[in-house]
Formats: sequence, structure tokens, C-alpha cells
Amino acid sequence: MITAVLRRVGAGVLVLWAAASAAYLALLAAPGSTVDAIIGDGADTPGIRAQIIDEWHLDRPALVQYLDFLWRAAHGDLGRSYLLQRPVSAVIGSQLVPTLKLAVAAAVFGLVLALVFAIFARRLTSVIGLVLVSTPPFLIGIVLLSVFSFTLGWFPVSGDRSFAALVLPAITMGLPIAGTLAQVLREGLDRALEEPFAVTARARGLRERAVLTRHALKHALLPAVTMLSWSFGVLIGGTVIIEQVFGRPGLGQVTVQAVNSSDLPVVLAVVILAAAVFVVINTVTDLAYLLIDPRLRRS
Amino acid sequence: MRRFSATILTIALLTVAGCSGGSPGSSADAGAPVSGGSLTWAVETEPITFNPHLYSQAKARLLVWNSFEALLTHDDKGGYLPWLASGYDVSQDGRTYTFTLRPGVTFSDGTKFDAAAVKTNIDQLLVPNYAPNVAAVQLKNLDRVEVKDDSTVVFQLTKPDVLILDFLSSPQGAQVSPKSLKEAKNLKAGGTELAGTGPFVLDRYTPGQEVHFAKNPAYNWAPANAGHSGPAYLDGITYRFLKESSVRVGALTSGQVQIIEGVPATDESLISANPDLSLVRGLNSGSTYSYYFNTAHAPFDDVLVRQAFREALDVPAVLNGVYRNTATRAWSVIGPTSPFYDKSLEGSYGGDAGKANQLLDQAGWSAKDAEGFRTKDGKRLTVRLVQSAPYIRDRRDVLAQAVQAAVKQSAGIDVQIQLVDQGTATKALADGEYELFDNSRADTDAGAALNLLLYSTGSINRTGYKSPELDKLLDAAIATTDQANRAETYKQVQKLVVADQALVQPLYAPQDQIAASKSVGGTGFEPTAGVPVDAYNLWLSK
Repeated sequence: MITAVLRRVGAGVLVLWAAASAAYLALLAAPGSTVDAIIGDGADTPGIRAQIIDEWHLDRPALVQYLDFLWRAAHGDLGRSYLLQRPVSAVIGSQLVPTLKLAVAAAVFGLVLALVFAIFARRLTSVIGLVLVSTPPFLIGIVLLSVFSFTLGWFPVSGDRSFAALVLPAITMGLPIAGTLAQVLREGLDRALEEPFAVTARARGLRERAVLTRHALKHALLPAVTMLSWSFGVLIGGTVIIEQVFGRPGLGQVTVQAVNSSDLPVVLAVVILAAAVFVVINTVTDLAYLLIDPRLRRS
Repeated sequence: MRRFSATILTIALLTVAGCSGGSPGSSADAGAPVSGGSLTWAVETEPITFNPHLYSQAKARLLVWNSFEALLTHDDKGGYLPWLASGYDVSQDGRTYTFTLRPGVTFSDGTKFDAAAVKTNIDQLLVPNYAPNVAAVQLKNLDRVEVKDDSTVVFQLTKPDVLILDFLSSPQGAQVSPKSLKEAKNLKAGGTELAGTGPFVLDRYTPGQEVHFAKNPAYNWAPANAGHSGPAYLDGITYRFLKESSVRVGALTSGQVQIIEGVPATDESLISANPDLSLVRGLNSGSTYSYYFNTAHAPFDDVLVRQAFREALDVPAVLNGVYRNTATRAWSVIGPTSPFYDKSLEGSYGGDAGKANQLLDQAGWSAKDAEGFRTKDGKRLTVRLVQSAPYIRDRRDVLAQAVQAAVKQSAGIDVQIQLVDQGTATKALADGEYELFDNSRADTDAGAALNLLLYSTGSINRTGYKSPELDKLLDAAIATTDQANRAETYKQVQKLVVADQALVQPLYAPQDQIAASKSVGGTGFEPTAGVPVDAYNLWLSK
């Protein structure tokens, strides 16, 4: 038992290290230097460059900077943002909760909607799913805003201030997830309903809906859970557009700004965080398998 | 219902037929000023820092002046008005500037504003690694600052530089409480920790969402052109960061915010169709949005080709295509609202395709290849424009495409647009791998922009044009405080740069737009800078 846990933790740390190193290499390989990025489109003189290099110790070899970064990250110090001039932990910390709130709300909404579709409107799911998946979230967001916020005035347009402000962004993000999930669920249900146990259940006189919810659904859930855990990761990354449209605080905006301005400390912190979220979700998914499928418990 | 579908249509990025021009609005609808209430203003840009010394975004200027103030402020004629300084005196040789400070001013943390505070601010700006841009540009001619007595401070310059006045009226020259400069944990990020003397105090900042300012009830030192005196009318103001223009407009039309800035041409019809809203536009100061020709190598090392490019481009046509009729065409490198603008350049060049083709023939680019582009010695007339994606605004990428199509059709010039990240753009510029460089600067004194863009050693001189004559003119123009004298010198600069050498293709004068509910009074644009005003003179009618 303990070795299993240790192996899991060890693998998690390895994933974090690999993700951080890959991001570091990618930024290193990007054209232009960190100094260029900090200067931006402003005045550019040798004196200004020298001061920037001095301030951020950019004159050290890349390998030394990398090792220094790893050493400090291992001690929980993620450094300071080049662009925002604040500690990275403060930059990320303030944005983490709104992002998680949105991602969880969107995942829950997506799952519930997918279940509703798959159970009550199985024949329609293909079409609905296709429409939802192929509509850009930007457009969904704008249309929802103009109907429910600008015209009807039911929900506020922006911010992370109240539950009402979470509704539209969560629906915007949740709809495409619901589309994909519903497709996966429906396929699983269709297959399960053709299995002999479904015939047996029907023979016992169960009504079709009961066969569906009590027996087939469990079989269909396994791939859907895998799908959901995958899309939760996508959700974390996909908040960028939603945040921009709804004026919400969150990690997406911070990440885009950081990547655009080669704000290395922030980018690395976001990558590490995202990798950590994936590790946690994968673990949770594995546990969920055990809950759903008794056969996996035995083996 | 009609309005609703129109909203959807525009918002879904479909073309809406018809144009609308915003009329210069007034605050008449809001009635006489009243105190009290609070406003929400949706702005496009979240500042990367709230420390005024490190100010670098023109879009953040309207926030700075809420809580910070400078020694002087601009009037609307290119001169200066007293603010935290009650007056100033310039020595005969133009190297000693003596400021008398206004008595009785306090920072919002309770400390006193005096000559020592001014010196502390300048000393801070010169601390290595703190504000390298300010130290290297605005303060490059500063020798030392002396505190003569409590209310007198002297700036000694190494050579005459009238731009020191512009600096002392700018956000970078704003006065921050020395106590907070010393104690702030995140000095370079600014925020609630930094205290100023302004009519509001920044008391709440939610990154990615909004910033809130509360009234400073003790405030009583507004400049003469601020609209009123005493404390601000509003009890508080919230600036909400909404990047998406259609969302800002929607938030305004549905009454969730009372005022917005940044209204693109495509959304203007939604504002002007609504009787409860008003729209005003203001032209920014500084240099115009222009393409600078790289004269360091072919083809723009030949003045004939530079002239040909300007003749090939029908500027009004491309501006109308991209911005409808909302953009103001630029004729010079200096913006049309500047006192140094040379109006005589208007109509003196451009938009003559016949002439463009004749000039290109004359310059040797007479052959044409299979695709219709001009060639010389088998080489196509290709010019590259490198744009840095993070800094694109005003749909300048779309404008570039319109220019590309226009000059291809009229004169067979091949414009290659490269939309790249900042690192790639910097590299291309450093390696000279470009023929066109696009830029606009929002400096309040156009001279500051020209020094960077045109001086032979200017830090963003991308034309490669170096001329002792031009340097001499630019030096002369900042060596005197005499406005008429400066205007005359800048007229010669513009003649040389725009008319004789054709170093630049001016496109448009950058502008800001404010749309507001008619219950909001006191909106408008800052004199000279042309950016939206701070909240001091805003009021909300009851």
C-alpha cells in the first residue's frame, strides 16, 4: 500500500519536473531574449538593457538560471514576475480561486446536462452535441451575454463577485463539455443496452428507463469519467477566452500576458500548477474507476 | 426587439451597414454638478503597474491622476499651468529650473508634501534598476536637484532641455509620498501601498477584475483648468477591466456601467442609436500612427521610392475601409492637435497613383513580373512590415492588410506583413530585417517623441536616417521655452522629414472615445494629452 502511494507521489513529482523543464526549454528556444521582452516597444538603449540584465541576473548562463529556478521552486519560491513586479505566488494565488470556481462549476454543469441529454433525449444527442462542440465558446459567451445580461438583465456582465456572475461563464464553458460528454455517454448506453444483461433486465419486466438508469448507465459512465477528467484539464487552460469576454479574473489572462511578454517566472509557475492539477485529477479518476466498476476493485 | 437583434448582429462580428459619427457631446444633460454617488467605468486596459513612476501605458493615464499629481499640468495651448508647484522660473541659459511649491498639500498617508519630497522622488527615479526608461530618457540631462528651502526646489540641467517641464507634468514625474516609497513591499507594482496627493485614494484592487478609488475629502489643490476646486464630486469610482469592446458597449447599453472608453467604429451605431447615451472622441497628443521607411538599404534608400510609396497609397480610402469615417488622417509625424503641427503639409503629397508609377519607373523599378509586382534587376519590389502581436491595437493589423492591397493594386509594390511575437519583432528590428516600421507615441510634448524617433541616436530611430542638420534642429527645439520659437523649429523638422526626405508615411492620428450615460457629467479629454480625463470632475446627476 505504502509503496503504491510512494510510487504515485514519485511519478507526480517527475511529471511536475518534466513539465517545468519542457516549458523552460520552450521559452529559451523562443526568438528574442528576456531583455527584449521586458523592454517591449518602449525606449531601448544599452543603459536600459544593462539595468534590466542586472536587476534580474540575466547575465548568468541559462543552465545556472535553470538550476537556480529548480532549487528555489523546490523550496516553494517561484520568484518575481518580470512584468507585474510582484511575487509570482501573489500573482497566481489571487487568480487561482476564480479559475477553479469556474472550472468546477462548468464541469458540474456539463456533466449534469450531458446526463439529462443522454437519458431523456438520446436520439437528439448527436445533433445537439455536434452543434455545441462546433460552436466557438467566444460566440456562445457573447450571445449568452447579449440575451441574458444586456437585454434581460438577469445576470451581471463581469467579475467574480457573486454566484450570479458565475452562471453565464459556467454555462459558456460547460456547453461544449456537455456536447462531448453526451456523445460519449450515448454511445456507451447504446452498447450497454444491446448487452445480454439488458435483455435479462427487460425480461424481468423492468421499464426501459429503469434499465437505462439502473443498469446501462453504470457501464456508460466509465469512458465518460475519463472524458470529464480530460476536459477538466482543458477547462483550466480554456478559461482565457471566457475570462476575456466576461471580464473575470483568472489564470487564463495571466498566462496569456505572461507568455506574450516572456514573463518566465509566471509561465513556469502556471505550467507547474497545471501539471499538478492534471496529476491530482488523474489520481481522482483512477479512484473513481474503482468506485464505478467492482471488477477493477477485485483485481 | 430591433435593438436587441442589432446588438446580436454587430456583436456576432457581422457587418452593419451605415455609419454614424459621434457628435462632440456636452454634459448639459447631466445638469449642474452635484456631489455624491459613485460610478462604474469600464476600461479596456488593466495597468501592469499602479506606480506612476513606472507608467508606460497611455491607456492607464486616466487612472494615474486620480491618486497622484505632478508639479505642473498642461493647458490646451501647449503651455503649463501650476499644480503642486505654484510657479517656476527658468534661468537665462535654460539650465536652471526653480519651482515654488504650493503650501498646505499633504499626501493621503498624512505626510507633508515639500521640496524634500520632490527631491526624494527624483532620487528614487535615479536608483539603479528602478525606472531605467525615465533615467535614460526624461532625466538624461538632469545634473542634480537641490532643496533650497521647504517650498523651493531647483533642477540643475547639464544642458538646456525644456522637456523637463513636460516630464514634471507627466505620470512618471508624479509625486509619491516618500514614506510610502520607503515602506511599500511591492514598490514597482504600486497599488494601495503607495500614497499620492490626488483627489482620490486607491483603496481596493482585484487583479483581472477592477480597481476602486475612494474620495480624498481633504483634497483642495486642483489646477486652474480642472473644472472646479475642492474635493471631487464622486464619493467613489470603480474601474472595471473589460477587454472585449462589444462587452463594454453591452454593459453600457444595459446600464451595468455608466461610462466606457474605447468604442470601435463597428460599435458606434449602438451608442448613437440610444438617446440616453453620448459619445465623444478626442485626438491623442504625440506622434501620429505612421510607417517609417528604413533608409539603410534598398529599396527605401532611394527617396524616389519613398515618395512613390506615399503616392501609391490612397490614405483616406484605406482608413475608410477599416475605420469607416471615424479616423482622422495624419499628414505629419506630429499629431494635428499639437501646437507644433505644420498644417501646410496637408494635401501636399500622396494618393496619386500615376505619379507613383512614374516615380518608380524613374527609380529603375520599371519592369513587372508575372504577378504584377514591379522588379529591378530581376528583384521584386518587396517591403516587409514587422508587427509585434502583443502591441497591436486599433486593428492596425487589418489596416496593414488594406495598405498591402492598395499599394499592390496602384503601383505593384509587394508589402509583406509579418505578425510576430515581441522577441521575433525585436530581433528583426535589431538585424535590420524590415523596410517599414510602424509606431505612434502618446507623449504630451511631441518633441519627446521626435527625439526618440528621429534623432540620429534616438532609441527607436528605425529609419536609419542620420543627419547632423536634423539633430541640430531637434536640439534647438528643446533648448528654448519660447513656444513660437519651438514651433518654428519643429516646422523645419517636419519640412525636412515629411516633405523633403519623405522618411515617413503618416496614416492616422490616434484617438480615444468615451461613451457615457447622459446622467454622467464632466466627461471629456485631458488637455494636450487627449486621453480620457480622470474622475475628479465627474458627477452623477440625481
